[in-house]
Amino acid sequence: MARMRKSRGESLLLRYLVLGSWALVCLLPILWFGTIALRPRTEIVTPQPIYWPTWSLDAWHLLMSDWPIALYLRNSVLAVGGSVIIDLILAIPAAYALARYDFKGREDIGFYILSTRMMAPAIVAVPIFFLFKSVGLLDSIWALMLIYAAINLSLVTWIIRSYMLDIPKELEDAARTDGAGDLRILWEIIIPACLPGIITAAVIAAIFAINEFLFTLLIASTSGAYTMSVALANFTGGSDGVIYNAIALVSFIAFVPVLILVILIQKHLSRGLTMGAVKG
Amino acid sequence: MASIRLENIVKRYGAFTGVQNMSLDIADEEFLVLLGPSGCGKTTTMRMIAGLEMPTEGNIIIGGEVVNDIDARDRDVAMVFQGYALYPNMTVYENIRFPLRMRRVPASDQDRMVRTAADMVELGAFLDRKPGALSGGQRQRAALARAVVRQPQVFLMDEPLSNLDAKLRQSMRVQIKHMQRQLRITTVYVTHDQIEAMTLADRIVIMNKGAIQQVGTPDQIYTDPANTFVAGFIGGPPMNLIEGTATGGRFTAPGVNAPCPANLSGRITLGIRPEDCTVGGGQVQGLVYGVEPTGDVTYLSVLAGTKQVEVKAARDFRSDIDVPITIGFDPARLYFFGADGQRIRGGA
Ligand SMILES: Nc1ncnc2c1ncn2[C@@H]1O[C@H](COP(=O)(O)OP(=O)(O)OP(=O)(O)O)[C@@H](O)[C@H]1O
Ligand SMILES: [Mg+2]
Repeated sequence: MARMRKSRGESLLLRYLVLGSWALVCLLPILWFGTIALRPRTEIVTPQPIYWPTWSLDAWHLLMSDWPIALYLRNSVLAVGGSVIIDLILAIPAAYALARYDFKGREDIGFYILSTRMMAPAIVAVPIFFLFKSVGLLDSIWALMLIYAAINLSLVTWIIRSYMLDIPKELEDAARTDGAGDLRILWEIIIPACLPGIITAAVIAAIFAINEFLFTLLIASTSGAYTMSVALANFTGGSDGVIYNAIALVSFIAFVPVLILVILIQKHLSRGLTMGAVKG
Repeated sequence: MASIRLENIVKRYGAFTGVQNMSLDIADEEFLVLLGPSGCGKTTTMRMIAGLEMPTEGNIIIGGEVVNDIDARDRDVAMVFQGYALYPNMTVYENIRFPLRMRRVPASDQDRMVRTAADMVELGAFLDRKPGALSGGQRQRAALARAVVRQPQVFLMDEPLSNLDAKLRQSMRVQIKHMQRQLRITTVYVTHDQIEAMTLADRIVIMNKGAIQQVGTPDQIYTDPANTFVAGFIGGPPMNLIEGTATGGRFTAPGVNAPCPANLSGRITLGIRPEDCTVGGGQVQGLVYGVEPTGDVTYLSVLAGTKQVEVKAARDFRSDIDVPITIGFDPARLYFFGADGQRIRGGA
């Protein structure tokens, strides 16, 4: 008995050790650029190792005075947020139809939708550029919104669909005998029951959209429509040479919203909400 | 308030036939109980009446109107689902109120109706809980309340009490029966519990493998079973069915020798209910296999040849096992079934 307990304790320790070192490996770059962002420019480029860094907010002051970070953040938030809303409006009814209605070619359509995700984006980059040029949407966050929405729509549809498939059909049957029509059922039963799935899909779409680079670079020809991802790539510190601490700080600022989204998604990844609906 | 008529209903799932050629007339205000083993098609039948499943063949007629093409929401039936189907995002209160909202019951009446239904199932104290925070029995009662909160044309109840303890089940049973008599709503009720079936039903439908075996009042089903399936299904313990041979007015099987009508011959099955057997008498010679006192009566199993014969004995009957014993049959209560399992009428 005593031996068993000891060995269980040992294996727990081992588990923590392995997971802990892995987490450290993953976190190290983040910690590293975090510290760079908070140190003076001169200290970063010295060849000697430094054990006790001096802290400074130089980078922060530089950014605030020199760089329209508020504009880029606003562009990111609007384009990403708008695209996610468009995705949800289109994907929820589509997912419901794919999950529930029995129609000819349902599986095929589901596959076509997903297949748009399998194409390399570069293939359509040039046509998309001309398309947006001809409708006068270059250099506009509306264009970015549409493109992000299009990129993520298939994925969002599929994630939501898979959650909807998990909702017991008896729930809808009950709602129908209780006198609810299709839209009511979707709005009052299905959407609340698969809310964790909808949130998960929205967060994943937002993360993809925040990090989208290729199309943003293509569409946003001036910095007026830059989002954080493109602005970050273009940011080197300008006329003063490469300012590493400011770059690190910008990266960090770009990273924080994604981090928040990931924390959100974690909370909702548990599929607890349909619990209690049925016997099992 | 409507009669229901099933005309030659067939339900196939691919090659599998879930319900085969079912015809049934359910009278207005009748309380009809569907009884049968698991997988025999009870839920499927209910779902077709509710409009949640299309029959492959045949017609469903509610209140004189063919409803095959009428959507579930327009059939005005209320159903208790076997799996409860409570809306997980709504509280018990909102769950029970949902059908009232959908049917546009005036808002001023809704609160009163919800509370009446919740009180009936003794859930008044749980109205603010979500289904996830209820026990199995409480969920089941919430599902029952949601069905009885309004007055539809038809009630469909799929094992609405299966998950309750004996005491609650008894009181809910009385409540359901009272309510059904009071509101006079045609009710189709599925159960596995024979006591429930016997006490609630105006008529019982016994089903097996998707086909109706017998329709009748509880008395008819009990005293006049149509075949060995019904005979062996009803009663607790069910009827003893002993396979043997009839010749010259005697029925014989290993350890069994009983009178039978002189016109019977060949392989037949004799049926006798445990309550129509007595300890002592000459029809069965066997050994005591087991004795089960229940307080009220004592069940006795007797091994005759390789067959166990169940006997309802006096409450104070006690015996060791493997003791030789004889059992007598009430000759007026013998049933005979042919090799195909169908009842041979004409009596003993
Ligand atoms: N959607 C379906 N597809 C294929 N077979 C089905 C489907 N629904 C039911 N069945 C089959 O039809 C038969 C009858 O099912 P049903 O649910 O009506 O049984 P039941 O009498 O209600 O049983 P229980 O007492 O276990 O609830 C079963 O054999 C079941 O496997
Ligand atoms: Mg069933």
